[in-house]
Amino acid sequence: MNASENRGATVRVLLLAGTLMGCAPGAVAQSSERAAALPDWSGAWTRASGGFWETTPEQALEPPPPPDSPRRHPPYSPKFEAIYRDNLAHIAADRFPDPISICGTPAGWPRMLALPDAYEFVVRPEQTWLLSENGPNTVRVYTDGREHPAPEDLWATYTGNNVGHWENDTLVFHSVGLKGVGSTILARSGVVMSDKLETTTRIRLAAPDRLVVTLVLEDPEALTRPWPVAFTYTRLPAGSTVYDYACAENNRNPVTSDGRTLTLDPSGRVIDKLP
Amino acid sequence: MNRSLASLVLSLAGISASAISFAHHSTSMFEPEKRVTLTGNVKEFQWTNPHAWIQVTVKTPDGASTDWSFECGSPNTLSRQGWKPSTLKPGDEITVVANPMKDGTSAGLMYTVALADGRMLGPGALAAP
Repeated sequence: MNASENRGATVRVLLLAGTLMGCAPGAVAQSSERAAALPDWSGAWTRASGGFWETTPEQALEPPPPPDSPRRHPPYSPKFEAIYRDNLAHIAADRFPDPISICGTPAGWPRMLALPDAYEFVVRPEQTWLLSENGPNTVRVYTDGREHPAPEDLWATYTGNNVGHWENDTLVFHSVGLKGVGSTILARSGVVMSDKLETTTRIRLAAPDRLVVTLVLEDPEALTRPWPVAFTYTRLPAGSTVYDYACAENNRNPVTSDGRTLTLDPSGRVIDKLP
Repeated sequence: MNRSLASLVLSLAGISASAISFAHHSTSMFEPEKRVTLTGNVKEFQWTNPHAWIQVTVKTPDGASTDWSFECGSPNTLSRQGWKPSTLKPGDEITVVANPMKDGTSAGLMYTVALADGRMLGPGALAAP
């Protein structure tokens, strides 16, 4: 068999394998073309700036506003303004625990946009995965044409139900089915939302190594109007490795039942001077 | 620097919140606006998630010693800032600048670590002009 015959045989074998796996050759080629048309978000990324106080990508490049800035104060309904004030009082008393401190639950959406360590944005035609190294947080965004489940098939989860589509090089998706106050926080500044929260997110490359995420939070229970926020991420050097994050490996900061975060010595003894 | 608690320096210089923003937990136990500087010998370097920890034995003027716990970022973040699991070995003399515990406990949130070979690591070293 010469080289040409060899290549032909290889193609026939691949087509047969594709057929046996249930993939029509035309569908494989079509999927490859769709994948090739997607933007390059490969590699590892780190949050460059932004938080739940920036309303535009430009603000996200500025230094964070001071703690008393109106930009840090969501447009809360009276009910959630009271919850927020109570959270501030707990923060002042060092009794506002972070739910992720137990090392067992995700930060959830959309808080996972504001974590330290690395991110990955895995783009495929039928879905995009938003992965945070500081996790576990895996947000699956379906772009295969599906819609959100019917209400009776939807329950609250940390990362929600996310469906969307591509508008040229911008991923646009809508999120529902999110856990709210009592299970998650958006920031240690006391910002929380209800489980009625819905978000509309847009992600695009603003420059080859700068990814911009803008989203609008809408919560009929917590907010009086939509609340836009923005984040930016920069690509880490090529070849950067993303590691696991086994938070329970050596958690020396357990939380007491009254919300106090403790510090342990290497033997597990509490070293705080408790009242 | 004199290896003693007498070398403890409290600084009220403005400290960026970014230095303490990486923890997986509330940092309410630390003084955000103060720093202590301590020199001692590494007892153990825990290269673990969610945080690496440096255990340091600091001698006091009367000859006794106190073990300090310094909390760091995750190994993932540290590795991208030039740290390795072998960066600190038991017995190494280091000088640590940290945000101390509010209650005076012998622990703190690491800001910089000066190694015996002159290298400086930590978020404070990255923030330096």
